[in-house]
Amino acid sequence: MSHLPHSFRLVLLLLVRTTLRHWKQKPGSYFLLLAIVAIGVGAFNGIRQASRSASANFGLFNQAVSGQSDFLIESPTQRLPADILPRLSSLAGDPDWHMVPVIEGSITALDSNDEPSQQLRLVGLDLLSLANLPDLVENKIDFGQDEASWHDWLGSESFVWLGQTTAEKVGVEEGGEVTILASGRRQQMRVRKILKQEGSALPDDLVIADIPTVQSLLSRPGEINRVEVVLSKPELRQDSVYLDEIEHRLTRELPENITVSPTQNRAADRAAMTAAFRLNLTILSLIAILVGAYLILQALDAAVVRKRTEIATLISLGVSRQILFFTSLVESIIIGLIGSVAGIGVGWFFAYFSAQMLADTVNALYFATTLDAISLTWTDCVFGVGLGLFFTLLAGWLPARDAMQTPPAQVLSKGDWSPGFTWLQKPKVGLSFLIVGGLCLLFPPLPLEGGGKMPVGGFLTAGFWILGAALLSGHALVVLAHWFRPFCSQPVSRLACSRLQDGSSRHRLAVAGLVVAVGMVTGMFQMVDSFRYTIEEWFDIRFQAELYISERGVTGAGTINGIDPTIMEELVQDESIAYADVVYISYAKPKEGITILSGVDMKAWTTSIKQLWYKIPGSFTAVAGAEPALISETFARRFDLINGGVTELDTPSGRKKISPVGIFSDYGNEFGTAAVDIKTWKSWTQSERPINVSLYLKEETDVNQIRDRLRLAFPGLDVRNGKELRDVALGIFEQTFKATSALNIIGLVVAFAGLLLGLFSIFDESARTWLTLRHLGFSNRQFLLSAGIEGAGIGLAAWVSGSLIGLVLGWLLVKVINVQSFGWTLLWHVPYTDFLIFGILLVLTGFLSGCLASTYWNYKRK
Amino acid sequence: MKFFLILCLISPVLLLAEWIEPPSRSSKGYRVPTSDYLPVLPQDHGSHPEYGIEWWYWVGHLNAVGSGKKFGFQSTIFRLAGDPVESRQSSNIHFGNQNLFLLHCALSDLGEGKYFHHERVVREGWQASASRETLQLAVGGMKVSLLEDGTGHEVITRYPGGVKLELTLHPTKPLISFGDRGLSRKGSDPASVSWYWSYTRIQAKGILYQNGEEIPVEGMAWMDHEISSSQLGDDLVGWDWTCMQLDDGTELKAYRLRKKDGGSDPWSAVYWIDKEGKTERVYEKNFSWKTMDTWTSPKTGLQYPTSVEVSVIHPSKGQEVYRLGPLLDQQEFTGNRSDNAYWEGACEVLNEKGKRVGMAYLELAGYGGGLGARLN
Repeated sequence: MSHLPHSFRLVLLLLVRTTLRHWKQKPGSYFLLLAIVAIGVGAFNGIRQASRSASANFGLFNQAVSGQSDFLIESPTQRLPADILPRLSSLAGDPDWHMVPVIEGSITALDSNDEPSQQLRLVGLDLLSLANLPDLVENKIDFGQDEASWHDWLGSESFVWLGQTTAEKVGVEEGGEVTILASGRRQQMRVRKILKQEGSALPDDLVIADIPTVQSLLSRPGEINRVEVVLSKPELRQDSVYLDEIEHRLTRELPENITVSPTQNRAADRAAMTAAFRLNLTILSLIAILVGAYLILQALDAAVVRKRTEIATLISLGVSRQILFFTSLVESIIIGLIGSVAGIGVGWFFAYFSAQMLADTVNALYFATTLDAISLTWTDCVFGVGLGLFFTLLAGWLPARDAMQTPPAQVLSKGDWSPGFTWLQKPKVGLSFLIVGGLCLLFPPLPLEGGGKMPVGGFLTAGFWILGAALLSGHALVVLAHWFRPFCSQPVSRLACSRLQDGSSRHRLAVAGLVVAVGMVTGMFQMVDSFRYTIEEWFDIRFQAELYISERGVTGAGTINGIDPTIMEELVQDESIAYADVVYISYAKPKEGITILSGVDMKAWTTSIKQLWYKIPGSFTAVAGAEPALISETFARRFDLINGGVTELDTPSGRKKISPVGIFSDYGNEFGTAAVDIKTWKSWTQSERPINVSLYLKEETDVNQIRDRLRLAFPGLDVRNGKELRDVALGIFEQTFKATSALNIIGLVVAFAGLLLGLFSIFDESARTWLTLRHLGFSNRQFLLSAGIEGAGIGLAAWVSGSLIGLVLGWLLVKVINVQSFGWTLLWHVPYTDFLIFGILLVLTGFLSGCLASTYWNYKRK
Repeated sequence: MKFFLILCLISPVLLLAEWIEPPSRSSKGYRVPTSDYLPVLPQDHGSHPEYGIEWWYWVGHLNAVGSGKKFGFQSTIFRLAGDPVESRQSSNIHFGNQNLFLLHCALSDLGEGKYFHHERVVREGWQASASRETLQLAVGGMKVSLLEDGTGHEVITRYPGGVKLELTLHPTKPLISFGDRGLSRKGSDPASVSWYWSYTRIQAKGILYQNGEEIPVEGMAWMDHEISSSQLGDDLVGWDWTCMQLDDGTELKAYRLRKKDGGSDPWSAVYWIDKEGKTERVYEKNFSWKTMDTWTSPKTGLQYPTSVEVSVIHPSKGQEVYRLGPLLDQQEFTGNRSDNAYWEGACEVLNEKGKRVGMAYLELAGYGGGLGARLN
């Protein structure tokens, strides 16, 4: 140690002799503090890791078998007529790459009771040509002797290959049969072989088959989804000059209306598609660490108070104030470091349990995905530790400064000196934050790659308002205590009330920490509730048909598979049907990202089919030369068509102009939907496959009887009445908010842990008061009750302030952030009952926390 | 390598024997080539899908016009038929299920000492087609089409690195039909016969696209087209095969089928083609195949006898000696899987005095475990 600088040695000595001693004296408090940092960092890191795992494979499931591809040849609709292949044959012959045509779709495996048991992803590849691919050549996947015995299986209508886990899930062995539903048909698949892969496992829902087999199973003859291009020399993947040259050679000979792009662009596109979703989650995941920062501030301040006499003595002995400041900061760094490192582990744990939840959401809302293994990167570690250190340092700064300012004479003579944080008692800071937040609303949203928008101003406003409310919440505590005091006739309640009315900085910090959590949670309550309320309203207006029919077992945005047109044709012939509203859907390519092009009966949609109209049909006149379209509000906002106009979309038939004649509300996707007439849709997309149909039945028909009859006649289709459809849709809706709810709960848990920690500190610092009261005859029960009331008061103040800021945040989320992020207007709906219940729970929890903290404190004193 | 597939189909026991009448169908149900058949052109240049296996093969030596650069090339298309009884008929024109095609292409840049090669396995459909009516093949990066004169043809072959060879080929001798009564026998199994037709001397002219340059080339090529439906011989480990184009206007084809015990199979043979296209042949007992030097592949570690001496007793001229030496050592074809590697490359032919008397292509297969295992 002698070679170390003097000041450093002194800091080390102080840490060992004072800080560490206090840690030993209060292990519970410090453990809780570390846990708070760990949970805060863990929530943030967990969401990062889970999001990555949930959307890592970007829907290119075939690559688990065919290996990483380098370029994608696609059409704007992400469907290619197989007739395009001969036009690519010259390109395909180039030895510098391999072309891998892919067709994919969803199928549903049936159990022994003929009930849907497992949704599977059916991927069709040219299994013979796979033998050329570098990955297969390295024998990563063992197809056994199938390559040599190609003539045994090639041309089979039903042979499929499964991964080990898929086979286990479906409960089938090699040579066994599985009954499936695909494209509305019930079919049999025979398992040719169960594939074993060295290293990483195949996705657990992957079924591989030869392309013609998949075309037949999905009843999509003559169609593929894309052609992937795999470099013959994978070692050149990092050579950007080589990649540019290859892209140039590919582009040169490509047929029109077909695009080639690096596969990594798709990854970027998909990442952009979920950018707003991931950003919202990330911001939400910061609740815990934000709340935690208050708690760290509070705990470190309490530590400084406890060490005040020691600090005064050390200053008297000549230890410089800078050394004390630095020692205090080092303590924060140690807490931040240990807590963050633990947080990385906690993050992995959170990610492990939330990844499937996020994958389900991505599947439901964005694109088909399967889970990748949770991975922890160095960036995660750096981000996690950086975040933890930043917040602990931020929170430790004020107590450290406080420690430095300790006046030794006063402390040593009076035995105490605790000015608290005076800024907490001044409303100016809080009010300034509120004003700055309001000004941030003027910031325009920031455009994201892929066509999304980030409501920077909205997020900044939310941040400033939360901080402002937290700073002002101490005043609410004082005001509330002042109001309640006249009603307090008993000594216990009077004591609790007067302590709250004093509004010490400790009390104010405890309330502030809770307010952050309560504000954000109640804000989210409103957003979710407004969403649910809006969707219910939308459902009531939009879905007035008697029956709704779609491909069975298929849900989510990643499964635009569709129904076999011949089945649809047969179905709509049913004599009980008065009108069938058949809807067609495909992707289309705007300048950035993707969007949805829908084919509908325009006449019916503009006259008889009810919609939640944002702008009724006829609000605009279609621009000459452009196809008249009904567009969703999201589409209108995304392409700046809210007041009419024209935009262009790439389709397999070339670039097409569309011009809105009306705008409808649609909460099904955030990419936007443009609906054109069915005939136009078919000619543009060169497809005939409908996605679903709404049936309006003739009068005096028994809906459920017809539903049951259709179910029997079309076992591959989901036939639902209005209520059943509503339940399914709301189920998907609830699914999408699962992660949000989980993060809310984590935030609240941290806040309550903080409340406990705060109350410990408060009671610790009031030791003399309690002892005096004990001498005056205060019983344990009275002490407990008083502490409980104090806790309840803090809870109440936090609820009042938190709910107020929550209301404003709810408005902000619904009216600003959602509109800018996703382009849809929600009906603002405040769940007052939930608010009230939450308030009662908060007050009750505050009361119990008070009792618990005082009991523990009492126990420790003894 | 072209021999590999045909050998996969030959009989387990090979004997020199008198005429054996072939059956009309093989044991698997494919049609068997018939005797005394005279190829009808251009139809017989095309595909014969009723037969189990078929290949088209071009090798040759090229000189860059005006620059002195020298090249050797090998372009081969194999067709394998599915099970004639069991295989299912498909209406899918893009992904057929009746025929599988293999493409082996190699280009030896003898001046630069570079060897480009690649292999593709594709099914009939969008990546492979073979006309039944004429010589019109499109498999992977190779396209072949007959010219209007009925014998001349165009062969376009792509190689890695954006290299492409476009050749116009004009045979200077008639189509040769090897074997007895038009059947090339490969074993004692009555069905072990093939139609083996060759253009043994072809004038080649064309353009080589390499490194952004268009290099005019001309030279001499050889083409084989063989059709069979036979079965695998299980006592063979490999073969050495060569076609020589001698400066005196004659050609020579020689092959040695190597047995597990190190000996040569009795059906190993040497053929001479005179200036008019008439052939003479001797079998295994009348020639020897001696290794003069070997080359070890740094990639696969396999050792190939790339310098050999073929000593043969001509039926009328007596003893003749041909020494083959590689013009480039690295002409090992590793394809997609190096366990199926073989050596096939451009060589020069020297007489016993060491004087160059012609050019040749030499094929050395079955020197690795993989091929031997697949053979057996």
